[in-house]
Amino acid sequence: MRYALIAILALLALLIIAPPLLGTGWQYALINALIAALFAAAFNLLVGQGGMLSFGHAAYFGVGAFTVIHLMQSVEYGDIPFPTVLLPLAGAAVSLLCGALAGFFATMRSGVYFALVTLALAELLHSLAPHWDEMFGGEAGLSSMRMPSLGFTFGSTLEVYYLTLSWVVICIGLLYAYTRTPFGRLTLALRDNEQRIRFMGFNAHGTKIVVFAISAMFSGVAGSLMAISNETANYSVFSTQVSALVVLHTFVGGSTIFFGPIVGACVLSLFTFVVSGVTHSWMLYQGIIFVLVMLFAPKGIGGVIQAHIEQRHALPWKRLAAPYALATLAGLMVACATVFVVQSLEIVLSREYAAAVARTGEYAPYTVFAREWQVFHPFTWLFPVLLLVPGLYLLRRAFARIQTLWDKDDDNDNGDIPAATQELMEGGR
Amino acid sequence: MPRWITTAAAITALGAIAPAVQAEPLKIAIIESLSGPQTSTGRLIATAAEYVIDQANTNGGFNGEPIQVKEYDNAGDTSGAATKFREAAADGAHVIIQGASSAIGGQVTEDVRKHNIRNPDNPIIYINVGAEAMELRGKKCHFHAFHFTTTAPYRTVPLMQVMSEQGDLGKRVYSINQNYSWGRDMETAIVDNADRFDYQVVDKVLHEVNRIQDFSPFVARIKSENPDSVITGNWSNDLLLLMKAVGDANLDVTFGTIFMDQPGNVANAGDVAEGHYVAHSSNIELLDEAGPEAYKKATGHYPVFIEPTTLNGVGLFAEALKQVDFDGGDINVNEIALAMENTTFDNGLGGMHVRKADHQAVIPIVVSQVASGVKYPVDGTELGFKPIKTVAGEDAIYPAQDSCRMRRPK
Repeated sequence: MRYALIAILALLALLIIAPPLLGTGWQYALINALIAALFAAAFNLLVGQGGMLSFGHAAYFGVGAFTVIHLMQSVEYGDIPFPTVLLPLAGAAVSLLCGALAGFFATMRSGVYFALVTLALAELLHSLAPHWDEMFGGEAGLSSMRMPSLGFTFGSTLEVYYLTLSWVVICIGLLYAYTRTPFGRLTLALRDNEQRIRFMGFNAHGTKIVVFAISAMFSGVAGSLMAISNETANYSVFSTQVSALVVLHTFVGGSTIFFGPIVGACVLSLFTFVVSGVTHSWMLYQGIIFVLVMLFAPKGIGGVIQAHIEQRHALPWKRLAAPYALATLAGLMVACATVFVVQSLEIVLSREYAAAVARTGEYAPYTVFAREWQVFHPFTWLFPVLLLVPGLYLLRRAFARIQTLWDKDDDNDNGDIPAATQELMEGGR
Repeated sequence: MPRWITTAAAITALGAIAPAVQAEPLKIAIIESLSGPQTSTGRLIATAAEYVIDQANTNGGFNGEPIQVKEYDNAGDTSGAATKFREAAADGAHVIIQGASSAIGGQVTEDVRKHNIRNPDNPIIYINVGAEAMELRGKKCHFHAFHFTTTAPYRTVPLMQVMSEQGDLGKRVYSINQNYSWGRDMETAIVDNADRFDYQVVDKVLHEVNRIQDFSPFVARIKSENPDSVITGNWSNDLLLLMKAVGDANLDVTFGTIFMDQPGNVANAGDVAEGHYVAHSSNIELLDEAGPEAYKKATGHYPVFIEPTTLNGVGLFAEALKQVDFDGGDINVNEIALAMENTTFDNGLGGMHVRKADHQAVIPIVVSQVASGVKYPVDGTELGFKPIKTVAGEDAIYPAQDSCRMRRPK
């Protein structure tokens, strides 16, 4: 626990010190990563802890964004005085209300039906929004400007970054505190078995509405921060893409661990920022990462980290070092081969390349990994095979070895009843 | 003094030292949808814009340096565009080119406006080559935004005028459009011009955008009104499926469209498309052969759909660059913007310029008909766009909107 606290404080210090040294592009990317992290954490309250998979969380994110943009406009025109730093409170309030209302209907069902109701509610907003110009600003969206408040102009990206950071840290802190409360325990028990909760005398539907509303509220804060940082809101925030992205972040990060989705959101947002500047195939890479995580680490990146932390005293680290190094090397080989093939195809199959071939009549060499390659040279296509085949072989060997070393110490079985439920039962109810 | 001002001052100071060694190169950022569902449009815009800038660079570049172009992928959403705008601004971009989607256009133009208010010493110009929403030239207009594409009324008026002259408009006009700002702009334009071209709007329909798979109920409604022509601003699937449904119902009616020239439309619609009208900002049938051929040589295809608009818009910008000279010193973006207001550019169909009131380009509109026997058939069919008439920009353009209050730099 102490190590965790030190790690979090160190990360926080880094988040405070580093951004002034970075360009505005990076500062803005960090703002987006923080917003995505808060959104994923709020979403995970519902999915990971409450066990309710929502496919329409963009709705509450968007409601927060539009509430704040309207308020910002009123402030800009001088109708209402409202400090810029407190704007997310308004987004939180409206999203809480909408969340409670939507939650009342959605939580009447569970599982797939719940997911479908949330999807339908979000789609309702998404198809309504472009028809209601006064509220949602039509296709071009609504726009406003941040007004100075508390001595800050909020004109620079850096000031917005610190505003976002403060809100995100406070909200994630609150979300974490929530998991430690008795109600937070009840939320976990709800995920484990709803029927049992009911037999223990709790109001399951009421509990679910509250969980849904709180999750919506924090999503609204994330949406508000987005509106403050972009200074615009557009009906496209209601799109299924936004809902799907938070699901992706949460599951890549690992929904069973509190910090999993936060890690997933940060990693994937920054990955998108960096890779989309380099290649147009970034969506493919993002998809590959998602599939690999789901196949080989179903508990996500956070799950892998947590397993290591939990087993840190039991694992034979000295004997694991070699297979871990081998797995890293083999993983890099496979990754290089994949990137090489994708980038080669992206270049060779592009319209520009086809036009150049038509113009000059020859297949010009292209550059990947800072080296020139001939399209029809056998080595160009042998190269990825030479990396891929041994890479995959070594990867399998390394993982087999890691598996046996891990299995030796794996004897902690929790029994059938999940921890949270057990705790509640022991609580005397 | 807040820290960001000191930082900004330091950066400006560094920038001021640099030209002593080397002239400041002009930096252009293309913020387009280069991945995701709108890639096909975004790619065309980026290709056309880069083509014009490449040409300018072979003619000596600008300010004694080659013009630098960088592509930024906004991934087709406003949030991505906002991120990439910050990145481009941090990279020192002077000009931003964007076109696919009015939603992203709204984001970019607002980002540019706010950037220029906060950084009056290094403003950015926004060149819009595809976003057609009226609002961008109205409430959201500002001095540094230039709009080289047309809007709903801008294209509807010449379309109706030529169809009426050809006797294909008739007295009974049916309006069917997509239910969002663009479709509603179209509907307003169709209703507003009823007296001018002496027709009656027999019915007007707004439908969901790109969600309808079967247009036959709509066609039944059209049939029951027995119109002479149908005017629609639909694009993509909404246009294709509508025309197909009309063809299947054996309804003899002429379509007046805005987006028939989108690649793939004519191939998909087949013979149903023949005889229908399209109003666009250029038609390669009318151009001197050298231009399209050179373009094909560089890019592998003739300029289609949104590419002529991009070529013209960026072309005017490149022409304006010839009017300013910073002698290898600092680039003054406001001077370039003022030069753009005073530049006339020959796009092969006539002169085009930018209207000072709202920075909407005044471009001639070509009204064409889908027909066989043309010089440049499209989509691998025998059909192409036969130009019927070119309407001068001044006759086609809509009046500047009152909502546009432009503040000019002092």
